Amino acid sequence: MFPTPIAKTSRTWQLTYQTLLPVAMVLWLLPLLAVMWFSIKPGADFTTGNYWGLPSSFEGFANYFLVFTGSDMPRYLWNSVMITVPTVAGAVALSCMTGFALGVYRFKGNLLIFFMFVAGNFVPFQILMVPVRDLTLDMGLYDTRIGLVLFHIAFQTGFCTLFMRNFIRALPRELIEAARVEGVSEWRIFWYVVLPLMRPAIAALAVLIFTFIWNDYFWAVVLTQSPESQPVTAGITSFNAQYRAMYHLMSAGSIVAAIPPVAMFFAMQKHFIAGLTLGAVK
Amino acid sequence: MRSIFTTGAAALAAATILSGSAFAESHAALSGDLVIFSDMSNPAPRAVMEGMVERFGEMHPDLNIELTIIDREAYKTQIRNFLQANPPDVANWYAGNRMLPYVEAGLFTDISDLWEEGGLTETLASTQASMTIGDGIYGVPYTYYQWGVYYREDIFEELGLEAPETWDEEIANCQAIIDSGRFCYTIGTKFLWTAGGWFDYLNMRTNGYDFHMALTNGEIPWTDDRVRATFANWQQLIDMGAFLENHQTYSWQEALPFMVNGEAAAYLMGNFAVAPMREAGLTDDQIGFYQFPQIDPSIEMAEDAPTDTFHIPSGANNVEAARAFLLFVTSAENQTLINGGDGLGQLPVNSQSSVDDDEFLSAGFEMLSQNSPGGIAQFFDRDAPAEMAQVAMQGFQTFMVDPSSLDSVLDRLEQARQRFY
Repeated sequence: MFPTPIAKTSRTWQLTYQTLLPVAMVLWLLPLLAVMWFSIKPGADFTTGNYWGLPSSFEGFANYFLVFTGSDMPRYLWNSVMITVPTVAGAVALSCMTGFALGVYRFKGNLLIFFMFVAGNFVPFQILMVPVRDLTLDMGLYDTRIGLVLFHIAFQTGFCTLFMRNFIRALPRELIEAARVEGVSEWRIFWYVVLPLMRPAIAALAVLIFTFIWNDYFWAVVLTQSPESQPVTAGITSFNAQYRAMYHLMSAGSIVAAIPPVAMFFAMQKHFIAGLTLGAVK
Repeated sequence: MRSIFTTGAAALAAATILSGSAFAESHAALSGDLVIFSDMSNPAPRAVMEGMVERFGEMHPDLNIELTIIDREAYKTQIRNFLQANPPDVANWYAGNRMLPYVEAGLFTDISDLWEEGGLTETLASTQASMTIGDGIYGVPYTYYQWGVYYREDIFEELGLEAPETWDEEIANCQAIIDSGRFCYTIGTKFLWTAGGWFDYLNMRTNGYDFHMALTNGEIPWTDDRVRATFANWQQLIDMGAFLENHQTYSWQEALPFMVNGEAAAYLMGNFAVAPMREAGLTDDQIGFYQFPQIDPSIEMAEDAPTDTFHIPSGANNVEAARAFLLFVTSAENQTLINGGDGLGQLPVNSQSSVDDDEFLSAGFEMLSQNSPGGIAQFFDRDAPAEMAQVAMQGFQTFMVDPSSLDSVLDRLEQARQRFY
């Protein structure tokens, strides 16, 4: 097996590993730890130059309280939910159907259509920035949640289709053929035979897309601009007031914004890992 | 609250009559829609804007006011589009050269008659010049704030120094501060604009307001000897070691701790710097304010005071209501209200308004309405076109880090001037 399990290596190597691991972890988490540290400091600490020392007073509660009561954060969080959940539902629903069609039916151009879905994933999305912005503007969807949702669904469906099609391909074809022999209609096969078997894939994909969309910053900034429609990732910048940045509140806000995807990850860890490796080994 | 103008009853009566007549005119039953596009998107300004619309709406129940608040940065690009395609009745913008392109394109209405009728030429005298282009006045201001030198009064006292009024005093003060192991000035030039403030003041003191305006308007070559004189004064301070070391790595906020902790004695900055200094524990006894010292006695003092404004686009539909709204915004009463500590916390533009009882706001109000005969500039990146400002401020930063690069910096700025104007 590769890599060799640590338990089977020499004692010196084990010791090196055990000392290096915490160091690497702290180094890796340093930015995050700094944000956490900043989020419990009073704003004045940043003006006195006390960045890394002990907080001059513990303001953790006050900062987090202010994030929820003194800013538009609750609204941004709600926008994030209203953007992420429909996107997840839409992208997963669409890709289940496209995946089924491309995975089960053999027709001319099947491969071509599939490649087009895949190819979409290779387009760097920065290239799409200007045309997509103009498109949403012309459609009257600029600065609305629905505009962002529609774009995310369209863009994510490519990746989801790749994922779903490969999963459905791996299902035993005999099940579908048996159902056909019984005279079950194609819709019912999709609904009663294939869909239940896809549950692990759906769960994994939903978790994956949830974190993608929740953490999206680029499109949030490009397609929305008011507190009525901006998700939390873009809304954090509202702590950059006209003249100065509220580092302590921005940090507290970032932590709050990061909690849902992190919670989602821990709650659905099993599916998440499954999602990343699904289809990797056949 | 305390009125700066102590003429008392007379001024008050005049104000009442003035605003009274203004309101009487505007009370002539306004109706229809009043569309306002605003860039006051940060929380406090937003509340102020919404409050104004609410109060104006109460005065004119038949008027349907549609307020659209657009993100302050996004607004800067959208205004080009909407002034032509979909003009509102009232729009926010900035004073000075920043409004020049729209005035030249005929997109803002000349409202000099409104200034005459509403008595604004009296009450808004301090900002009239910055709203004027050619013979026309193209909008009204609603708030501004002063720039100047904020210094550590306690350090000055410890060293036996007085706030300087002339360049010689300034240099002597600075030498004493350096000898005590401190920097004269903290500054963070990472985002460039802070260096623009220094250039504004040095140039306005060395060559005067009119020269500065001509320069930022692209009418004078950067390689001119008068510009070099400005940089020579600047270099004098740099060579002494007056400025904080490694300033190019700090933002303006990150440069604050040096002053708070007493490693630097002063900061050339806008009035918004006072709030974080107070939060950091400096008392008003420790913070002082002085007007940037005189360099050439023959040149009138001029100040930086970025002014935010309202305009009536030429495509406005409800001009009558828009004019009434502009009068309402600039009225002494409304100015006092919106610029107070729980509003914008800045200076009212109407000389009959009262200023919040705050040492620095009072000092700024007095300075701008009495000690700035030369004129009021808007700040380098508002007076010069955006592209030019970017290149120029980069040049200022380079010069501050390495004064020997002056010639190449000026050449680069001159090339940029020929390209951008």
